[in-house]
Amino acid sequence: MIYFIKILKKEFLIYSRKSSSFISPVVFFLISISLYPIGISNDPGILKNLAPGLIWITVLLSTLISFQNIFSEDYEDGSIELLLASGQNLSLIVLIKIFVNWIFSCLPIIILSVLSVFLLYFPQEGLKPLIISLLIGTPTICLFGALAGALSLGKNSITGPALMLPLSLPVLILGTQAINYSLNGINFSSNILLLTAILVFLLPIILFASVGALKLHFN
Amino acid sequence: MFQTLKNFYHKLGSYPWFYKISGKVIPFVGVLSISLIVISSIWGLFFSPIDAVQGDVYRIIYFHVPAVSVSQVIYYSMSVAAAVFLIWRMKMAGVYIKSLAPIGAAFTFIGLLSGAIWGQPTWGTWWVWDARLTSTLVLFLFYLAIIGMQSTFASRKSADTAVSIITLVGVVNLPIVKKSVDWWNTLHQPASISISGESSISNEMLIPLLLSILGVYFFVFFTGLLFMRAEISTREQNKEWFKKLSSNN
Repeated sequence: MIYFIKILKKEFLIYSRKSSSFISPVVFFLISISLYPIGISNDPGILKNLAPGLIWITVLLSTLISFQNIFSEDYEDGSIELLLASGQNLSLIVLIKIFVNWIFSCLPIIILSVLSVFLLYFPQEGLKPLIISLLIGTPTICLFGALAGALSLGKNSITGPALMLPLSLPVLILGTQAINYSLNGINFSSNILLLTAILVFLLPIILFASVGALKLHFN
Repeated sequence: MFQTLKNFYHKLGSYPWFYKISGKVIPFVGVLSISLIVISSIWGLFFSPIDAVQGDVYRIIYFHVPAVSVSQVIYYSMSVAAAVFLIWRMKMAGVYIKSLAPIGAAFTFIGLLSGAIWGQPTWGTWWVWDARLTSTLVLFLFYLAIIGMQSTFASRKSADTAVSIITLVGVVNLPIVKKSVDWWNTLHQPASISISGESSISNEMLIPLLLSILGVYFFVFFTGLLFMRAEISTREQNKEWFKKLSSNN
């Protein structure tokens, strides 16, 4: 147990000292959010309708910037190899890594998505489903990112995103739908429950698969 | 019975045995599949009756339905092979996934393309974000990810394992994609479009359709064997049994 707490602390330290790990997704998010009104239209009516999808897609794309961070540095300096050889529970270590990555890459964006009220004329009553769906949906996306990152370690190829984005489709659908439901006055709790179900269902599968994928690099 | 099955399964794992047997099977399967496709195409295109609503356009069904149905079956068979590979480390399963993925992608593409060509005159548009179309598109993307992953690993065994993992994760996710797309779709458009409108399909149309489906399945079997033989010969080109075989011919 102490071992895992130490790993957790170490991960926190690494992420907090490397500012680019949490600044670059935030910058990407802010730039994209302010580009939409310029590229599409500054008409509040149009932007209001598009906002839920735009925010969700931007969050999805900004995770593409950070998913390589989960394993790539540990792979380059060789500490992954030591973790694999340590005989500790690897799924738990991977879970810690994903959790810390989520805190540093997704949580700031989720907080900043409140800005869309001003930038995209997003209705205020939609904020609650937006935040809840992002809070529950983004961990699933981080899971897919971990799997994609574990499989494409050390290679700068399109395969990571090409694997991650189709997998994230259900989360995107359910997340935007929850916001649209609540804006139309429909109860959105079923979507949140489904998002939670997907997260809980996929968590053990993806952890297991990511550990298998990590081991592939050290035969 | 169980013993013979078990024997057959163990033999399947052997490259030389598979290479020998598949060489004998291929001519029959090839002739059967191509003749079935030719017969069903001629029957479907010239002799089956004209559809009352869609006219002659409906005849693309003889290409569309077999392609789409086989594309899903190939993915599910690949996921079974992936499980076999991860559990029993059977090398042949890796060969199977690698050889069948391009075929599956090709048939998914044919399905999407023929669907678009069919949709243009009947629905008035090449593409609709309908639930079925979207999930077929996602299936196509999964195939592309699997094919792309093949080249990212230097060692064959790692590549096979990685691809098996992706295939299994994909097959777990595919039903979720299907269901969520269904829900998403029902919000935006009510069921104004249904691909399976011809539930009361007449026998004169049904028989060539079934023949064409059968023909395409045999065609996949045929091309799958060819691709697997090609893959085996690249993997085993320096092995003794393969050199002996090629020097005999």
